[in-house]
Amino acid sequence: MSALRQAPAVDPAGMAGAAGIRIDAVTHAYRSPGRPPVTALDRISLDIGPTEFHALLGPSGCGKSTLLYLIGGFIPVQDGAITTPKGRVTAPGPERSIVFQNFALFPWKTVRENVLYGLRKSGVGREESEARAREFISLVHLTGFEDAYPSQLSGGMQQRAAIARTLAVDPKILLMDEPFGALDAQTRRVMQEELRAIWQRSPKTVVFVTHDVQEAVFLADRISIMSSRPGRIQHVLDVPLPKERGEDTLESREFIQLSEHIWRLVREQAVAATRGRL
Amino acid sequence: MSGSAQNTAVPVGAEAKPASPRSRLGARRPGAFLDLGVQVGVVLALCVAWEAGARLGAINPFLLPPLTDVLARIGEDAMSGAVFVDLGLTLYRALFGFLIAAVIGIPVGILMSRSRIVRWFFDPLLSIGFPMPKVAFLPIFILWFDIYDTSKVIMVAFSCFFPIAAATYAGTTGLDKWPIWSARSFGAKEVEILWEVNLPMALPQILTGLQVALPVGMITTVVTEMLMGGRGIGGSMIMAGRFADSVGVFAGIVEIVALGFLVVKSLELVRARLLAWHPETRR
Amino acid sequence: MSAAGAGPADAALALPRNTLLFKLFDGVLRYSPLLVLVAVWEGLGLSGFVSRQMLPDLGTILSEFWRMLTGGDLLYNTARSLSRSFSGLALAIVVGLAAGLAMATARPARLLINPVVQIFYPMPKSALIPVVMIWLGLGDASKVLLIFLGCLLPVVVGAYNGARGVNPFLVWSARSLGAGRFEVLREVIVPAAMPEILNGCRTALAFSFILMVSSEFLIASDGVGYMISSLGDGGIYPAMFAVIFFVAAIGFAADRVYSVIMRRQLRWREA
Repeated sequence: MSALRQAPAVDPAGMAGAAGIRIDAVTHAYRSPGRPPVTALDRISLDIGPTEFHALLGPSGCGKSTLLYLIGGFIPVQDGAITTPKGRVTAPGPERSIVFQNFALFPWKTVRENVLYGLRKSGVGREESEARAREFISLVHLTGFEDAYPSQLSGGMQQRAAIARTLAVDPKILLMDEPFGALDAQTRRVMQEELRAIWQRSPKTVVFVTHDVQEAVFLADRISIMSSRPGRIQHVLDVPLPKERGEDTLESREFIQLSEHIWRLVREQAVAATRGRL
Repeated sequence: MSGSAQNTAVPVGAEAKPASPRSRLGARRPGAFLDLGVQVGVVLALCVAWEAGARLGAINPFLLPPLTDVLARIGEDAMSGAVFVDLGLTLYRALFGFLIAAVIGIPVGILMSRSRIVRWFFDPLLSIGFPMPKVAFLPIFILWFDIYDTSKVIMVAFSCFFPIAAATYAGTTGLDKWPIWSARSFGAKEVEILWEVNLPMALPQILTGLQVALPVGMITTVVTEMLMGGRGIGGSMIMAGRFADSVGVFAGIVEIVALGFLVVKSLELVRARLLAWHPETRR
Repeated sequence: MSAAGAGPADAALALPRNTLLFKLFDGVLRYSPLLVLVAVWEGLGLSGFVSRQMLPDLGTILSEFWRMLTGGDLLYNTARSLSRSFSGLALAIVVGLAAGLAMATARPARLLINPVVQIFYPMPKSALIPVVMIWLGLGDASKVLLIFLGCLLPVVVGAYNGARGVNPFLVWSARSLGAGRFEVLREVIVPAAMPEILNGCRTALAFSFILMVSSEFLIASDGVGYMISSLGDGGIYPAMFAVIFFVAAIGFAADRVYSVIMRRQLRWREA
């Protein structure tokens, strides 16, 4: 694999002022006693623009979630640096909100209370919080379920509530960790369209982790393809599809060709990885 | 769900977890050896503080006699054999009562899940008997069976019966149907399914019931011994207490701590052994 | 018990559910096995196989109960007992919660407290009766201390296991929404651990009754346990039976009330 291009390092000056994420030579290893450390991420460098929808695509175990958790500040950066306009990432912060695959709604709070939680924390007043909560609950089509507990909702509805909770605080950076992974195919499709539309209306930095090629192509402006063990970024590709995307995007030639191209790249990785393990 | 089934799950901790702190406290984690070392150190430090506090007069030695005095007393009693008589009697009463409760309670629990009439009869009795303080019935058993071992063992069995029967009932009802169906599809008879599928599946909960019952049995044994006097740790301790023999009281405490530890840990080992197939063991 | 479960009344009559009459009938049918026990009791007593001394007839027991209740004797002693029981329990819940949460969130606290928990958890707490007697004598303080010590560990272990078992993604969610460490503890860890905390407290509630009665048998001059043992010593058996059944009923009722509160607290768990 010679034609692989690492993401070029952009000059730091380009970052000044603009929102975005700069990942600079981040290496991460998991250590457990009595065993050699496992390198989850190997010298990852990547710049993500201020209004970019970026997908991290790769097989399970390639470290894409680890990279996302590092950006979120949930696990400490061991080596290298991650910078946002707020400075170096050292801890979680409300400007970088996250949606997890398993929703992570507070089960003892209703949908409305869950959405209000983030708003209260970011210092929004009571009345405005209520208004914003209503707005975002209706945005994800959960009006009428405000007072339901998460355990009373389907998986798709829970995920919509989690997305509303995260979007309501209007983070500069939105991190999504396979948010639609637990949903059925149909719900998934609907959610993808809605997410893209929401992002269209208020553009922000989105880092979206997935192992679904079509999902990545449909949603993202740029895609990083990762390889596993150690996790490296093997390709960074632009997605030259129109900004507005919908049902017909899926049938367009560009979409199909690009998906196939990326699928081949991903498959190469997988084959190489399997061979390496045998 | 009827009353007793709700009650069953409850005092146990979470649904299928033993009431032991060990499940998570003793986990194998990075630095486990260091942690273990520090914790052993904490115990030793407490022992030293106890000894030094009593010797140096920081603590009134009547309220807390020096550890070495207490150990010396245990040594003397061990030489004379008294310790072993006391421990043996207490252990015998606790285990015998516990055993009777298990031999009656487990079948009752199973029958409750399989027969409407048995369920009709025992369900309300369990839901009332489970939470009530059974120790209060001790004078009744003394009245009926006199003050010797019979009433002690029956009292212990009576306290242990409820958690065991309730846990068995909860464990054998509402089982996952797929293993039962697949056993049936292999042509297993209903009796075989009971022994080979239902009971293994209910085993975690039954064991949890036993793990709740055993400490209850020990508590009850000690109380019965204190109340009726005679040999056994409880009797010796209350005697020492009445004669203001604080060294004797603390010798009893050290002995009962050791006995309790031994008994409870043994049951945990049995559980790990019997549930070697269960995910909880591999955690 | 719950309206959804098939109560015995379903089979017996075709009344619409949720009516008072239905519930009454359901309750009577459900607890009818108690009537069987009553019948056996009276039958044995009447048959003459067992002396009436050992098996007083229930009418006498009831009238004794009424006499003690109206005489104020029973209520006074019950109040004494419950005040001991609940002060010890309340103290244990406060201290146990703090210790359990500290253990779950701070390593030094865990290393300090865990060995003590491990050693004393399996100890039969009733063995502490002579100890508190030596420490604090025969007054109220000794029994409150006993109940406190006996109820402490179930609460500690419940809080610890609950707080340790909190889904880390919930903590991360709250952190990314801007919650600080203390807020995470108060707003995420405690509510998420609530089921196990409440279970621990329920075990503690049961222990508080057991230890209250046991200690009053042995070292007290009032309280229901003392009443039982002194009535027994005096050979006034019908009254003794009455107090014993009354204590059992209080223990049962306390657990019932607790479970209603608990279910209300944990409404969010029901699908």
